[in-house]
Amino acid sequence: MKTLRAVITNLFKWAYLLFFFAIAVLPLVWLILTSFKTEAEFNAYPLALPAVWQLQNYVNAVSVAKMHVLFMNSVIIATTATLLNIMVTSLASFVVSREDFPFRQSLSNVIVAGVLMPIVAFMVPYLAIIRNLGLYDTRAALILTYAAINIPISFFLIKSFMVNIPKDLEDAAIIDGCSFVQRYTKVVLPLSRSGLVTAGTLTFIWSWNEFIYALLLTSSSSVRTIQLGISFFTTQFRSDYPSMYAAVVLAMIPSIIVYVFFHDKIISGLTAGAVKG
Amino acid sequence: MLVKNKNWKWILIFMIPITAMYTAFFIYPFGFVFFSSLTAWNGISPMEFIGFENYSKLLQASTLQISVRNNIIWSLSLGFLQIGLATIIAFILARRPRFWKTLRTVYFVPKVISGVAIAMLWKAVYNAEYGALNAVLTLITGQEWSHNWLGAFNTALPAIIAQEVMYIGYFMIIILAGVMSIPTSYYEAAEIDGASVWQQETLITLPVVWGIIVTAMTLAMAYGLRHFEATFLMTGGGPGHSTSTLALMMYDKIGARKLGEASTIGTILVVVGFFVIVTLNKTLGSKSLTGEDQ
Repeated sequence: MKTLRAVITNLFKWAYLLFFFAIAVLPLVWLILTSFKTEAEFNAYPLALPAVWQLQNYVNAVSVAKMHVLFMNSVIIATTATLLNIMVTSLASFVVSREDFPFRQSLSNVIVAGVLMPIVAFMVPYLAIIRNLGLYDTRAALILTYAAINIPISFFLIKSFMVNIPKDLEDAAIIDGCSFVQRYTKVVLPLSRSGLVTAGTLTFIWSWNEFIYALLLTSSSSVRTIQLGISFFTTQFRSDYPSMYAAVVLAMIPSIIVYVFFHDKIISGLTAGAVKG
Repeated sequence: MLVKNKNWKWILIFMIPITAMYTAFFIYPFGFVFFSSLTAWNGISPMEFIGFENYSKLLQASTLQISVRNNIIWSLSLGFLQIGLATIIAFILARRPRFWKTLRTVYFVPKVISGVAIAMLWKAVYNAEYGALNAVLTLITGQEWSHNWLGAFNTALPAIIAQEVMYIGYFMIIILAGVMSIPTSYYEAAEIDGASVWQQETLITLPVVWGIIVTAMTLAMAYGLRHFEATFLMTGGGPGHSTSTLALMMYDKIGARKLGEASTIGTILVVVGFFVIVTLNKTLGSKSLTGEDQ
């Protein structure tokens, strides 16, 4: 009897695991399949495989929606925001983890506590700040905002990494005549590469996917990000759903590529924050 | 002391960028959102101080009541339903069944894809004419389904919440990491004492990772309060205002150039958010949210 019960439990377990697997994968697969169908085919048989795998929808997506402009804007914004974010947080992480100065611990705690801030509630202040800086409707507005919003998480990840680098290495470097700045650039920074990559990956994916502040802080189509761009497709494509889905698939590709290469980093980065301590 | 550290100039220089950006984007907005909530302001002409008028005006708005109700539904669905589902997956995967690593990676995929793409995807699934959901239901039941899931009052909110609740990847990973850090010797000892799998999970795993589950619940409920993106993209708050949330209302107020009222909603979001985080941690047991060792 015990074995029968074990079989049933096992069955339920796998049904449960597979259900969530299906939820995560099937809608995506359906979207990708649809992006290769003709419009008539999609209207007649929404669930069927494409009769002919044709790329016309992708051609439409690029020509109608100016995907290349949107794509370039997102690449520029997400990359620059990530670099700025990593520079600012690694400088601070270095002094907080390697030097002693007044209010060091409290400063660090305040910055990390920023992860709990409901950023969405700051629509009005961010709009005011960006307008006052004269940055409204520029790529710089989003670069600065994205770099700033990700400070708490990046600072936390990089600092936890730098704290664990043995002090001896730096002492040896000082004896060899390393200056303060060289200790940062030549000793600590190279040794914390793994932490920098984790923080950078998270910031890049977040910035690539961000929607709310792209909507609020930009208005003209020349600086528009890809996420904002595809959210306007419903009107641009009218009812040509397959072409719209082709554009959505194109917008997903970079985050998926980054995830394929760095998923271990992403998973370890996310768990570090929640589980430690 | 700063002066005692011979590198004090460099320390100052290294800390200036983060201090400036953090102040501008985390501390100043805090004060700004509260102050401007007490004003009538269109964003162009100077602010006019009007005390708590925005608050009393908002409390009477019927959209506010709907939004608050929806935010509560969101918070409870994410905090209990999503975390419950995620916890079960984490407990199963922690016993390292076949393909557990692949499953963990795949469950997280929807969380790397942008909210916009996910929203477009589900809008397509829920579409009345060509949607996959109606097509699947037609196939299973043999009857013609043409329900407009996002356009009908009774299914719009559940439809948006359901797609979000079922993406358990993020919280599953956090809870799984906690479960996997439990030494296997605990379970070996329990096994020798004749404890069943069920007993092991409820008497060992659950109490040990309870702190992490509470953290996850707190975060999930805070996300429920802030909810904006999926609803904005899938229904825009409609039909009527039936799927509106506080953040959506705030965005509409900005569009209507009522920035003072928008800030009032922003202030409510911040205050209620902190209240939720503090009370949940006090009532359900505490664990440092940021994982900082104090």
